Amino acid sequence: MKENNFSSVLKSVQKPGRYIGGEYNSVMKDKRDVKCRFAFAFPDTYEIGMSNLGVRILYDVINKDKDVWCERVYAPWTDMKEKMEQYSVPLTAVESGDPLSAFDMVAFSLQYELCYTTVLSMIKLAGFPIWARERGEECPIIIGGGPCVYNAEPVAEFFDLINIGEGEEVLLEICRLYIKMKEEGRYSRTDFLREASHIEGVYIPSLYDVSYNEDGTIKEYRSLYDDVPAKIRKRIIADMDKAPYPEKLVMPYIETVHDRIVLEVYRGCIRGCRFCQAGMVYRPIREKSPETLCKQARCLFDNTGYDEISLISLSISDYSELPKLTDDLLSWTDDAHVSLSLPSLRIDSFSEELMQKVSSVRTGGITFAPEAGTQRLRDVINKNVTEEDLMRSVGIAFRGGKSNVKLYFMNGLPTETLEDIEGIAALSKKVIDEYFLLPKQQRPRGIGVTISVACFVPKPFTPFQWEKQDSFDTLLEKQAHLKSCITDKRIRYTYHDAKVSLIEAVLARGDRRLAPAIAYAVEVGATFDAWDEYFDYDRWISSFEKAGVDPAFYTTRGFGLDEILPWDIIDIGVTKAFLRRERDKAYEGKTTPSCAEHCSGCGANKLGGKNRWCK
Amino acid sequence: MVQVNNQQLKIRVKFKKVGRLQYISHLDLVRTMNKIIVRAGLPLWYTEGFNPKPKMVFAAPLSIGTESKTEYMDIRLSEYIEPEVVKSKLNENMTDEMQVLDAYYPETKFTDLKWLSYTFVIKTEGADALLVERCGAALAEEELWVLKSTKSGEAMVDIRPLVRSAVCVLDGDLLRINAHLSADPSSFLNPEYIIKLLRGKCGILSNGDLTSEWYSIMRERAYLDDMTEFR
Ligand code: SF4
Repeated sequence: MKENNFSSVLKSVQKPGRYIGGEYNSVMKDKRDVKCRFAFAFPDTYEIGMSNLGVRILYDVINKDKDVWCERVYAPWTDMKEKMEQYSVPLTAVESGDPLSAFDMVAFSLQYELCYTTVLSMIKLAGFPIWARERGEECPIIIGGGPCVYNAEPVAEFFDLINIGEGEEVLLEICRLYIKMKEEGRYSRTDFLREASHIEGVYIPSLYDVSYNEDGTIKEYRSLYDDVPAKIRKRIIADMDKAPYPEKLVMPYIETVHDRIVLEVYRGCIRGCRFCQAGMVYRPIREKSPETLCKQARCLFDNTGYDEISLISLSISDYSELPKLTDDLLSWTDDAHVSLSLPSLRIDSFSEELMQKVSSVRTGGITFAPEAGTQRLRDVINKNVTEEDLMRSVGIAFRGGKSNVKLYFMNGLPTETLEDIEGIAALSKKVIDEYFLLPKQQRPRGIGVTISVACFVPKPFTPFQWEKQDSFDTLLEKQAHLKSCITDKRIRYTYHDAKVSLIEAVLARGDRRLAPAIAYAVEVGATFDAWDEYFDYDRWISSFEKAGVDPAFYTTRGFGLDEILPWDIIDIGVTKAFLRRERDKAYEGKTTPSCAEHCSGCGANKLGGKNRWCK
Repeated sequence: MVQVNNQQLKIRVKFKKVGRLQYISHLDLVRTMNKIIVRAGLPLWYTEGFNPKPKMVFAAPLSIGTESKTEYMDIRLSEYIEPEVVKSKLNENMTDEMQVLDAYYPETKFTDLKWLSYTFVIKTEGADALLVERCGAALAEEELWVLKSTKSGEAMVDIRPLVRSAVCVLDGDLLRINAHLSADPSSFLNPEYIIKLLRGKCGILSNGDLTSEWYSIMRERAYLDDMTEFR
C-alpha cells in the first residue's frame, strides 16, 4: 500500500495516517535475511491496536530473534476496506507494505468477542479461506491469542493454532519449530501443527473432535491422537523481573487511544471478584520489582519522549510496593514534565497521598467501581468494598478538587433483586450528599456523578460461569427501574445496550457450533461489531437462526454444574473445584479474602511462577 | 561560562516532511515534534503557569497531502546549545522522511514569509500538449474564481492575487506545474485549490479510477515579498 498509484486512495479516506507506517522505532529488516515472517494482526483500528500493551510486548520479543521479522497489521476502517475491495488491493502489513500472503504466520490478537467478525473480514481481505481446514500449504499459519482464547471454541475452526496464555515464550518456540522443520526439509502444514501441539500453551483445534448429547450439551472432547494432549495448559511467564519488556515503542504519528508509556506493574490479581474473568485467568499474581519498573520507565522515556507514564495492572493500588514505586518515579518525572496516571484505583485503598502523586488526574474527574448497589450483593460478587470505603474515597477526591465522580455498576448479577438496583440510585445520591457535607470552601465547583451500568455477562473461568444471563426483557426492566429511581439531576445515568451484552454472552460462552453463524454474519457484511455504529443485532439473530443456533441455550439457560463446558479442555491452573466452591459461597453471601491475606488454594500455584502469596 | 543572550536560545529549524509523512496532519506533526525534541534531550523552555507548554511555533502549516522540503519551526531552549548540535540531535530522533536541513538563529519573523513555491506532478487521463496548454491558459486568466472555505463558511473567491505565477509543462505522460502561491497568514493559499481549479476548468483527474490517476504536491522554497529567499 505504497507508491503514487495508491495516493489518490489515501487522499480519499479518513485519517490516512492510519495506513502509512514509517513510524520511529518501527522495526525494519531485510526480508532476505529472515527465515520466518510473522504478521501481528490486530482486529481493530490502528489507533486502538497501537495502544495495546500485549501487541507492543510481543512485537518487541519476536523481533529480538534475528531470524524472525514481526510486522503489524490493523483492520482498515470501512471506508478504506471498501476501496481495497473495489481496487482488489489485498490486506498488507504496515512495515513492508507486503500482502499477508508473503508471510509465514499471521497471529490475531483476540481482545473482545465482538472483534470476531473483524478477524474474519481481515482474513478474507487477505485472500485466505476463513476455515482452517480449507487452507493449503501456501497459506500462512493463522494463529489466535489474547484474552478471548480461554474460550475460543466459537472461532476455533478459523484458526490453525491457538496460543493459550502468555505469549512471550510460546510464540518464539512456535517460530523456532517452524524454522527448524523447514531447514530439515520435513515441514508440511499438518506435520508442523501436530508437532506444535506438544508445546505447552499451544492448542490445535483441528486435532480435537467434539461430540454432543441429544439435549445439545457437550458429550465429549477427544484428541485425535495419543500424543496430542487431552487438555491444554496455559503458559505463564515465571519471573516478571526477567521477562523481556520493550525498551522502545513504535511511535505513532497520529494520536492513538493510549498515547503514552504503559508500564505493566504485575500480572494477575490478588482479589477474586466472582464475575471477573481476568482475575482468574491471569493467576497467579506475579509482581515486578520497583527497581525493574523504574529502569523500564526511564528507558522508555528516553526512547519515546512521551509525557505520561501509565501504571497498568488489574488493580494498581494492590501493588505491594506502590509507595516506593511512585516515589522513585516522581524523583525525576516532574522535572521531565512527565505525569503519572493510575487507571485502576480501588475504593478501599484510595488515599490523599496517592491522589496527589497522580498529578495527571488532570481532568477533574475520578472513577470508582463499586459494581453493586448493596452490601449484600457486593458480598455475593466478592467485591470486598463497603459504602464507608466509597464515601471516604469520594470525600478525598472532592477535597482534592475533583468534582466529577464516575461510578461503575453491573445489572443482572446473580441473586440481584430490585432492592439492589434501588441501592445503586441510593449510593449515588449518598455521594452527592457527601459533597454537601463538606464545608463550602472545601467543595470544588460543579458536582456531577455519572453512573455507568453494564449488563452482567457470565464469563468462562469465573465462579459465575454456570449462571444464566438475565433475559433481554428483564435487563430492560431493570434498566428502566433504575432510571425511575434516579431523581437527582446531578446524577447522569448511562447504561450498556443489553443487545450487545446478549451477543457478547453467546460468543463468550459458545461452542464450535457457533462458527457457521459467525461466518454467515461476516458474509452478509458484519465487521467492526465492537463499534456501536456497526453492531447489528438483527443480523446476529438471523445469522444464529440460519446456523440453527438458539442464543438462549448459551444465555438464559445457564449451564448445568455437571455439564462439560466448551472451555473444559483448557487448563488455566485455577481448578473447577475452586470455582465451584466460590460459586457456593456466593449463594451463601460469604466473601473470600484476597490472596494477600490468605491463600484460598485456587490451584494456580501449580503453574509455578515467582510470587509471594501462593501456598 | 559563556555569556549567552536570549537571542541565542531561540533557534529556527528548517526541515523536510516528505513521502508518507504527507498524510500526517499539522496537529499530529506538532505532537510528534514535541516528542522528538524531548527524545533528543533538548531542554525546551516551558511557559510559566498552571499548565506549562513548551515553546514551539510553526510557519505556514501544511495540509494533508502536501509534501515539503521547506518547513520552519522556531523553538526556545532553556540553555544554550549550538544550532549544529540541535540539528544532529534532532536528526538522530527522526526517520528519513522527516529530517532537519538547517538550524540557525533566525533573523526574520514568520510573518515575513510571503510566498511559497510548489511543484505539482499530475497523472491524469488525456495528458497531452493540448491539455497542458489549456491548463496554462486557465491559470493565466485575469480572474481565478474558486469556492474557498473562509472564516465565515464557503464562498466564491478570486484567488488571482494569491497566485504569483504558474507554469505548466508536459513531462512524458505527466503534467507538471510550478507555482508560486501566497504564504501570507492573512491570505494563505492551500495548493489544493490549484488542483481544484484545474479539475473544474480542464477536467483533469476526473475519470473516477483512483488507482490510475493521482497527483503529488511538493512545497519547494520559501520567499520574502521581494522574492529573495526566506531564511
Ligand atoms: S494459589 Fe492461593 S495465593 Fe495463589 S493465586 Fe491461588 S488463591 Fe491466590
